[in-house]
Amino acid sequence: MNAPRTIAEYLDQLRAALRGADPALIQDALYDAEEHLRAELAEQPGRGEAEMLEHVVGSYGAPDEVAEIYRDQEIRIQRAIRPPPPPRRRSLVGRFFGVAADGHTYGALFYMMLSLVTGIFYFTWAVAGISMSGGFSVLIIGIPFVVLFFSSVRGLSLLEGRIVEAMLGVRMPRRPPYPTEQGQSLLKRIGAMFLDARTWSTIFYMLLMLPLGILYFTVTVTMLAVSLGFVAAPLIKAFGFDVINISTDSFSYYGPGWAGTVGFCVLGIVLLFVTLHMVRGLGRLHGHLAKHLLVASAAT
Amino acid sequence: MDESGSQLKKFQKELSSGTVSLVLLAVLGQSRQPMYGYQIAKRLEDVGEGVLAGKQSALYPVLRNLEAAGLLASEVEPSVSGPPRRYYRITKSGRESLREWTSAWNATRDSVDNVLQGGVP
Repeated sequence: MNAPRTIAEYLDQLRAALRGADPALIQDALYDAEEHLRAELAEQPGRGEAEMLEHVVGSYGAPDEVAEIYRDQEIRIQRAIRPPPPPRRRSLVGRFFGVAADGHTYGALFYMMLSLVTGIFYFTWAVAGISMSGGFSVLIIGIPFVVLFFSSVRGLSLLEGRIVEAMLGVRMPRRPPYPTEQGQSLLKRIGAMFLDARTWSTIFYMLLMLPLGILYFTVTVTMLAVSLGFVAAPLIKAFGFDVINISTDSFSYYGPGWAGTVGFCVLGIVLLFVTLHMVRGLGRLHGHLAKHLLVASAAT
Repeated sequence: MDESGSQLKKFQKELSSGTVSLVLLAVLGQSRQPMYGYQIAKRLEDVGEGVLAGKQSALYPVLRNLEAAGLLASEVEPSVSGPPRRYYRITKSGRESLREWTSAWNATRDSVDNVLQGGVP
């Protein structure tokens, strides 16, 4: 690797050295490096970029050294932050019920409930922002409004990333992509925001969150209610009521007996665990979706 | 690189990875104003080679982790002369941790010194 001559070159080399790492890690690493390099450059304005980089390779580290440090750190962070993985269970039964001991299950459960609220909020925000941007575009306040809206989209993207990481356990960036170059004209910077594929994929994600949120919320609440209802069947029987109570003109059924009631309870327990599995699976899927739409395009 | 050189390097790396969080907390604990990453790196450069045997890039992930743990808080501010900067300051629980970590460090240092000086019979 030849020595980088410009900041952009240094960042390209760093990106190349980090190839294959988590996209969220790459975004964080690039942000840190760019902040440091620009600070170094601003410190001694008389010095050229190439000269500054020569010095930086000694102090901050060459791109491949930096990549090495970040990979090392990441392993340690993952170990420190994450709860210990639940013990791996061999037996089918163990794996089926083991879902209750997995912290991610409950995070995902909470996320599914929350997604209705966040989904409505994101959707409203995106639709209002887009239509108001469209409407204002003929006025003088059009461009400032679009810029404001796009920056709010970036902020929300980072916030959603934090929620997804906390609840679903998928590594998401802690830093936004570095703001575009200072030297560029205002119009160019606005243009860059427009051309940034991630801005659009984030807006798409925000729109998608409404149907997804409704789906997640409804399915989770329904499954939970049904299975808990089944589990509670013996309680109803114990108070002297019938679990099933059908009576029409031509047909009536009151029952079942204790054996049937316990059967309902067992079915309910199984259904409850199926629900937990489903929630955890949905959480995983959604984590991948979020990463794809909110982060992945940054790394390429 | 010869064998003892690389061993030394590895040892220095382990030492610095153990102490860098404490040092960063201490720097921010002593500072009256919030500081940004580059400033902290330069401050440590003045102190000497010992603290960070490695590269300054190692500071940033640690700063971020301390922030995630609630020991530091940060905000971005645009600067007049240069790029926007992320300023870090220590939080209340950061100060508590700093106090505890300092006494843990003192205890470790004393016992290591004792062993090195042959104080252990």
